[in-house]
Amino acid sequence: MSDSGPVNRVRQAAITRIGLWSARRHGRDALPLTVDRRRIYIIPTRFGLALALLLVAMLIAGLNYNSNLGLAFGFLLASLALVAMHHCHRNLLGLSVDATTGVDAFAGGYASFEFLLRNDAGIERCDIEIRCGPLATATHSVGAKSCEHATVEVPVDRRGVTRLERFELRTRYPFGWFRAWTYVQSPLVAFVAPQPRGDRALPSEAGAAGTAAHAEVRGDEDFSGLRAYEAGVPLKHMAWKVLARGGEPAVRSYTGLAAQPEWLDWSSLGRLAPEARLSQLCRWVLDSEAAQRNFGLRIPGTEITPSRGAAHRRACLRALAAYPAEAPR
Amino acid sequence: MSAPARTAAGERVTLEQLAWVSACLGLTLLARIARLPVWVTATVVAVAALRLVLAARGRDAPPRAIRFIIAVPAIVLLFVQFRTFNGLTPGSALLSLIAGLKLLETRTRRDIYVIVMIIYFLSLATLLAGESFWLLSYLVAVCWLTTSTLLRLTSSAPGGNWRSSIRYAGRLLAQALPVAVAFWLFFPRFGGPLWQMPDSGGGATTGLSDSMSPGDIDELAMSDEVAFRVRFSGSTPPAQERYWRGPVLHDFDGHSWRRTDSGPVLAPTLLFQGPAYQYTVSLEPSPHNWLFVLDWPSHWNAPRAYLTSDYMLVEPNAVAQPIDVVATSYGHVSAALPLKPAMRHRDTRLPPDRNPRSLRLAQELRNAHPDDMAYVNAVLDMFRREPFFYTLTPPRLAEDSVDGFLFDTRRGFCGHYASAFAAMMRAVGIPARVVTGYQGGTYNRFADYWIVRQSDAHAWDEVWIDGHGWLRVDPTAAIAPERVERGLNDLVAAGAPFTSRWQQRTPWLTDTRLRLDALRLLWRERILQFDSSSQDKLLDWLHIPEPDGRKLALVLAVCLIAGMSWLTWQVRRELKPSPADPVHRAYDRLCRRLGSIGIPRMPHEGAEAYAARVSRLRPDLAAPVTALCREYSRLCYGAPASSAASGFPAAVRKFRPRGSRGSS
Repeated sequence: MSDSGPVNRVRQAAITRIGLWSARRHGRDALPLTVDRRRIYIIPTRFGLALALLLVAMLIAGLNYNSNLGLAFGFLLASLALVAMHHCHRNLLGLSVDATTGVDAFAGGYASFEFLLRNDAGIERCDIEIRCGPLATATHSVGAKSCEHATVEVPVDRRGVTRLERFELRTRYPFGWFRAWTYVQSPLVAFVAPQPRGDRALPSEAGAAGTAAHAEVRGDEDFSGLRAYEAGVPLKHMAWKVLARGGEPAVRSYTGLAAQPEWLDWSSLGRLAPEARLSQLCRWVLDSEAAQRNFGLRIPGTEITPSRGAAHRRACLRALAAYPAEAPR
Repeated sequence: MSAPARTAAGERVTLEQLAWVSACLGLTLLARIARLPVWVTATVVAVAALRLVLAARGRDAPPRAIRFIIAVPAIVLLFVQFRTFNGLTPGSALLSLIAGLKLLETRTRRDIYVIVMIIYFLSLATLLAGESFWLLSYLVAVCWLTTSTLLRLTSSAPGGNWRSSIRYAGRLLAQALPVAVAFWLFFPRFGGPLWQMPDSGGGATTGLSDSMSPGDIDELAMSDEVAFRVRFSGSTPPAQERYWRGPVLHDFDGHSWRRTDSGPVLAPTLLFQGPAYQYTVSLEPSPHNWLFVLDWPSHWNAPRAYLTSDYMLVEPNAVAQPIDVVATSYGHVSAALPLKPAMRHRDTRLPPDRNPRSLRLAQELRNAHPDDMAYVNAVLDMFRREPFFYTLTPPRLAEDSVDGFLFDTRRGFCGHYASAFAAMMRAVGIPARVVTGYQGGTYNRFADYWIVRQSDAHAWDEVWIDGHGWLRVDPTAAIAPERVERGLNDLVAAGAPFTSRWQQRTPWLTDTRLRLDALRLLWRERILQFDSSSQDKLLDWLHIPEPDGRKLALVLAVCLIAGMSWLTWQVRRELKPSPADPVHRAYDRLCRRLGSIGIPRMPHEGAEAYAARVSRLRPDLAAPVTALCREYSRLCYGAPASSAASGFPAAVRKFRPRGSRGSS
């Protein structure tokens, strides 16, 4: 496994160079992206380099023994390597890839980026590896004329907005003699919310025993009108009939969410350190959402008006993730 | 780029992968099993079985200590046996052993990669010493299987079954073939070896040797193996002159004849008489250094070969490769100079206390025939007149072989007669020697050449007659003249255990064998002996003037570029969706045309949605596009019967939208 040895150092240096060059060359890529031949790089693997040495040895042996059969075998193997190079390159050529570029995660967990590999060709593409950094890879085969979903889990340790400038598609199929790869210069962003932690009670519960908390549940039924669709709205709130009539997607909105909104406020956590406050706020966000309660979030620089639902929850968590790490404001 | 997390489950080998790579290794070793020490093969098999059993029980490779205990003694034993690891046989025995040990410790794909490399190299080592078409085919097939095994080493779930992997590997091999042929044809060859390897000899072990005991040649007569093939470029000598000269034997110890190396003493000049025959001898590799040529050679094209003082054509080294020698020979010669005393002494020596009865008989005959020629004829006459028999299964002879043969058994093969005759000559001071070689041959009418087999091995004598020189005398001709005229195979005495006897009775089989042999000769001439002069001829045939190495390299480069372009085209062609359905093709064309005016179809868009969007953006095109898209949907998703006889493709062909969005 060791990466020592001059040949390998040269190889690694070449790969690094190609990466930098590729970044300059392609700029930002728009997804979905179809891999064209100008962005596929190919280089022999260590096994391939060993095979090259073996082929040279075979050639010398064949010439030395004046053995035409030995030469024929060696040349056949060498040509097979050339063919394998073409097939390795082809394995990526024309493959389309799409990805969810922004995902949510909690510190200490994984950011799960979703990928969609689409293969329009009539051949199967085996062993396509999606790499988001050295530790986060997923390998899939994409059948002929079909799509394949892939999830790459990138470990995220710290709260904040983690940004991967690019990801890589890589393959060593068919024989592992060559490695073809392409960089997709499309940033993948993970909004890493703080770990939900802290044991303080919700502000409202800290005061009263939360008598109103249960009254609001029925309010769901009070239909008040339609508003434009936005991502993250629960499916049961979708106005399907409107959509079926051919209109723009719409969402039914409701009144009667009886309880007064809960404000999750940075300043209410007086003496805690910033990261601890964020963790506590995160805890509250999750708890409030679990209790199906209207809540708003107030942190320095950001105020999110009270609401609820998945989209709201996500907005709050992203705000927590995006809070600057070192110097506040 | 690598990281500790890489040795994950995907890298770990499965039982299936292990089994296949073991099978491939086994098949490779099978091809060289004759040259491997038995215990090496046994070790590899045992170790592979052990590893497979462990894997089948879900266990990992055995601990390092156990591997060590197996590896060290095995390698030491190998060194003790060969005293070297250099050279083809010990080297490949070592490699086989290493492959087996590697199999034992195989945990990840990387280990399998190492074994695969060893398999490739062992195949090559086998081919370096081999020369048959079948061997090449077999090893290419093994290479195919091995390469298919590599396809199974995928991280993701292997697509398809084994058969599809083998098919895919086969397709890759087929695509590799044209480039490989170009490489093989045009890669510049050098004349000789770059350096001498320790054991580059080998080849057939049957054949004549540099000694002859009574009975040696009878064993050869059973062998159907080809000794060499001959093609006459002019006239063919008659059967009684087709003596192929091999080792000439001088030293007689009373039982066997042996060759003394006379050193590079120049052959005494001969005066050639009679017709000259020009021919090409295609010799098989042998552990010896002599070349078989027709009696008596005058010219040959082997630059390093020379004639010894007894007119054997020898090379400085063993004939390790199959070679062709173009030579000219004359049927009759006479000596230009008298026999040198040293040579006369060498060819009249007899062990004084052996074969006493024969010596007495010789003296009696000599008294009756003082003339040399008369004496020779008298001895031949004795063979003819008295009850001597020509047989392939003569009784064994004791120490004094000549006495035993002449007085007791009286049954013998050519070796017995030649030996007894030479002894009788020497007994009265006439210089005589035994010549071994081949006599006759089988004509292959399918390709106009002669096959000389080991069963054509023969022994005869040469006697020195003053004033005439060396004279060939074949005592076998006296007892069985048809042996010399028609060859041994025609002369099968009843009951002789000839392998080829039943083949005589089935002419079609004989013909098939001759045809096969003609193919073998073609293989040898066109493939095995392909060299720089063949390449020159090839360039000549391609109308490239003054062929040389540089032009060869140029042609190779051109072929490679063409080959690579072909490959690129061939490989990418498979990416294109098959142009199966005219309806889909027409729809693609429609989308392309709309795309060219600025409204490409989005990948997720169905036909109806696309038509709606086009209608919104280009109201002028709404009607035709909607109609076409609806027709397409109907053809794709409607009832099967409705898709017949559709005008859809034609309609699409007629649809030519113009202008961009702004100009309409």
